[in-house]
Amino acid sequence: MAEEVLRAERIYKRFGGVIALDDVSLSIHKGEICCLVGENGSGKSTLIKIISGVYTPDEGDLYINGHHYKKLTPIEAIREGIQVIYQDFSLFPNLTVAENIAVNEQLAAGKKLVNWKEIYAIAEEGLRKINVSLPLDAIVGTLTTADRQLIAIIKAILAEARIIIMDEPTTALTRKEIDALFRVIYDLKEQGISTLFVSHKLNEVVEIADRTVIFRNGKKVMDQDAKGVDIRTLEYHMTGREIDNSQIVLPEIEKAETPLLKVEHLTLKGVFSDISFELMPKEILGITGLLGSGRTELALSLFGELLIDKGKIFVEGKEIKIKRIGDALKHGIAYVPDDRVNQGLFLPQSIGDNLVATIIDRLTAAFGFVNHRQAEKTQAHWIERLEIKTPSKNLAVESLSGGNQQRVVLAKWLASQPKILILNGPTVGVDVGSKAEIHQLIRTIASQGIGVLLISDDLPELIQTCHRILLMRNGRIMEEFQRSDLSEEKLNKALIAETQ
Amino acid sequence: MLNKIIRSNEFVIFVILVALSLVIGWINPAFYSWATVFDVIRASIVYFIMAYGLLPIIIAGGIDISFVAIAAMSSYTVHMFLINQGYQGGILLYYVLGCLLGAAAGLLNGILVTRFKLPVFDVSLATFTMWYGFTLFFIGATANFDLPKGSVGYYARFLITFQDPNVGTTGLHESFLYVVILGFFIWWLLKYTTLGRGVFAMGGNRDVAIRTGFNVNRIQLVLFIIMGTFSAIAGVTQGFLSRYFNPVLFIAQPLDVLAAIILGGAAITGGSGSVLGTTLGVLLIQLINRALILTGIQVEWQRLVLGIILILFTAIPSIRTLRARRVGRMIQS
Repeated sequence: MAEEVLRAERIYKRFGGVIALDDVSLSIHKGEICCLVGENGSGKSTLIKIISGVYTPDEGDLYINGHHYKKLTPIEAIREGIQVIYQDFSLFPNLTVAENIAVNEQLAAGKKLVNWKEIYAIAEEGLRKINVSLPLDAIVGTLTTADRQLIAIIKAILAEARIIIMDEPTTALTRKEIDALFRVIYDLKEQGISTLFVSHKLNEVVEIADRTVIFRNGKKVMDQDAKGVDIRTLEYHMTGREIDNSQIVLPEIEKAETPLLKVEHLTLKGVFSDISFELMPKEILGITGLLGSGRTELALSLFGELLIDKGKIFVEGKEIKIKRIGDALKHGIAYVPDDRVNQGLFLPQSIGDNLVATIIDRLTAAFGFVNHRQAEKTQAHWIERLEIKTPSKNLAVESLSGGNQQRVVLAKWLASQPKILILNGPTVGVDVGSKAEIHQLIRTIASQGIGVLLISDDLPELIQTCHRILLMRNGRIMEEFQRSDLSEEKLNKALIAETQ
Repeated sequence: MLNKIIRSNEFVIFVILVALSLVIGWINPAFYSWATVFDVIRASIVYFIMAYGLLPIIIAGGIDISFVAIAAMSSYTVHMFLINQGYQGGILLYYVLGCLLGAAAGLLNGILVTRFKLPVFDVSLATFTMWYGFTLFFIGATANFDLPKGSVGYYARFLITFQDPNVGTTGLHESFLYVVILGFFIWWLLKYTTLGRGVFAMGGNRDVAIRTGFNVNRIQLVLFIIMGTFSAIAGVTQGFLSRYFNPVLFIAQPLDVLAAIILGGAAITGGSGSVLGTTLGVLLIQLINRALILTGIQVEWQRLVLGIILILFTAIPSIRTLRARRVGRMIQS
C-alpha cells in the first residue's frame, strides 16, 4: 500500500440538532482515485469542507502528510496540498486563460508588478503538466465548461496539490469531455497526486474508482476496493434499498386517432434537419443523443425559443405556428429546462411564488391584483401532490435539495395544465433516491393524459421511463428503439457510435 | 489580429469619431481647422482626468458619481482658503493642497464602502450631495473670480501654438501634459501591477477574487484615493482654464464622464474597460457637444443625440453577445 496522504479519524460534526457526520473515518493514499458517493445531505460536502479547513470538526483528528491537526485552517489545508475544485471553478470569466492559471502564483509570491512573460511561462508549464493545449489568450468566459475545469485543475497542480477534491466534476460535460477528464485524472495518479472524486453518477464511479466510499445519513456505509463492485451494489448502499427496475409500470398509451403532437420534417439549419415523429397522449417519448446532437435545440424549437426554418408542427391534428414562447404555451406545450437553477427557478424567491409563476395571469383578479386565496390553494395543492419536502412554502427555493428543486420546477409547469410536457435532463444533479421518485412522478404525469417528451442522456433513466426512444446524431434521428427491445448496453453502443 | 482590432470597442468608437467629424465638416467646412482640434482637446482635458480616475472603480464593478463633487469641493475650498490668506503664488500649491483634500474625500468613500460593506453607488450618491452641500454652506455659494498673481496667464500657456485666421493664436494647452501622464499612469497601473489585475479580477468575480487572495478592501481604498486625487486635479485645472472657481463645478457632468467610460467599452457591471477606450469616449462626447453648435443644431438637441448614441452603443455589445450565444449554441451542435 502506498503511503497515506490523508487520514480523517472518527470525525463528528453537528449543525444545531442535525448530525452531519457521525463517526466517519477516511484515508486517502498517494496516487489513489477515491470516489465518494452519497445522496444529497449524506455528509459528503461537510467532509470536504472539514478536509479543506472550512469547517472544524466537533470531534476527531486529521492527519495530513503525517502532521496531526485538531483544527485545520483553509491556509494550512492549502499548504498541505489539499485543493478543492468547486463547481464554479473559481475563475475570472473576464480574464485570459494565462492570467487565470498564473494568478495564484503571482499572489503567492507577493509580487507587486506583473511580468507578462512570466505569466505566459507559468501558464504554459501548467498546460504541459497535464498534456493539454488551450489558447492562452482566450477569455475564460468564452470557453466550454470542460476547458474551464481543466484550468481549475491546472491551478490546483501548480499550487503543489497532493490531493485534488473534485465536487461533481462531470455534471456539465459531454461524454468525450468526461473521457478527457478521466485521462487527466489518470495522469495525476501517475504523478502521485490523489483524487477525491465526488459524484452522483454511479456509472462513472464504477469506471474510474480505485476505491469507493459511500455515505448515508452522515455515516460511512461502505469503503472498499472498487474492483468487482457494480452499480446495483452502490445503489443499494446509497439508498439503503434496492431500486428494482423490473417492477416499473408505464401508463398505457391511449389509442387515439390523431396524435397529440406530430412534427414533420423540422429543420433548423446547421443544427438539426428533417425531424419527424408523433407523440400520443399518455406516451413518454425519449429523445437521446450526445451533447451537441441537436436534442436540446429541438426541444427549444418546439417551445418557441429557437425558430425552425422548415417543417410543420401539429397539435391534436391542427397545424400550429410557433414563433415565440407564448405560442407554445397557448397550445399547451410546456418546457422544463436542464439548467433548472438558471432557467427554471427564481432561486431567492419563495417556493410558493415559484409554483404560481407560470399561471400568475390566471390568478389575477380585478385591476391586476393577485388573488391570494386562490394562489395559496394552488400552492398547497402542488406541494402536497408532488411531495415537496419543505416546512413552509415561504422558504426560498434555494434552500431545497436538488431533487426537491426539480419538483418545484415540475409543479410550476404542471400548474399551467399543459398537454405536452418537454423535460430536458430532469434528474441532472439529483441523487439516486430522488431520481427514482422523479421518474415515478413522470410516469404519473403521463398517466393523466399528458404527452411527455423526455430529453436525456441518462440511459437507465430513459429505460425506466420511456415507451419509445429516438436517437439523434448530428441533428438527425438515426434510430428508434421500442421499449420491448431495449437494453442499456444496446442503447449505449448506439449512443457513442461515432459517425465520422 | 486585424480581425481582433476591428471587432474591438475602441475601433468602433474610433470609426464613429471619424464619421462624425466628416459629417460635421461636410455641413460646416469651418470645422476642419486646428482651432477646432485644440478647442475639443482643451474642452476634454478635465473630463479625461476625471474619467481616468473613475475608470478603475468602474472596472472593479462600482459606479461612482461623487467624483464631480470632490472636484468642486477640493478646488473651491483650496482656492477660497488661499485667497483669504492673501496667497499670490503659482498654481503648484493649489494642486498639492487640492490633491490632499481630494485624496481624503476619496478615502472617506472608500472607508464607508469597505468598513460598512455599502454599495459604491449608494455611498457616492450620499457623498455627492454632501460635498456640494458642504461647499455651498461652509465655504461659499458664489463663483469667485479672484486669481493669485502667480497664476495669471496660466490659461494661455501652450505647448504648441498656431495662428488661426479666425480666432488668432491657439494651441495645445500645457495641462494636456497632465492628461498624458495621468492616462499612462492608469494604463500602467491596470496592466502591469498586481493591484491593477486585482481590479479586473474583482470586476470579473468579486467572491473569487477574495478567495484567490486579493485584498479587495485595500484595492478599493487605493482606487478611491486615486479617484479623489484625480478629481481634485481636474477641479483645480478647470478653475485655472476658465479663470474662476465655482462651488457647484461639474454638478451636471457626472453622467457625461460615466457615459464616456461606457462608450469606451467598460461594462457597467465591471470587469472590462480601457484607458484608450475611455479617451476616445471622452473625445466623442466633447465632439458631439461642439459639433451640434457648429452645425447649427439647437443646444437642446445635444442631450437627445447623445442619449441616442448611448442607446445604440450599449446595444451593440449586447446584440453581439446575443448573437454569439445563439451561434455558440449552434457551434456546440
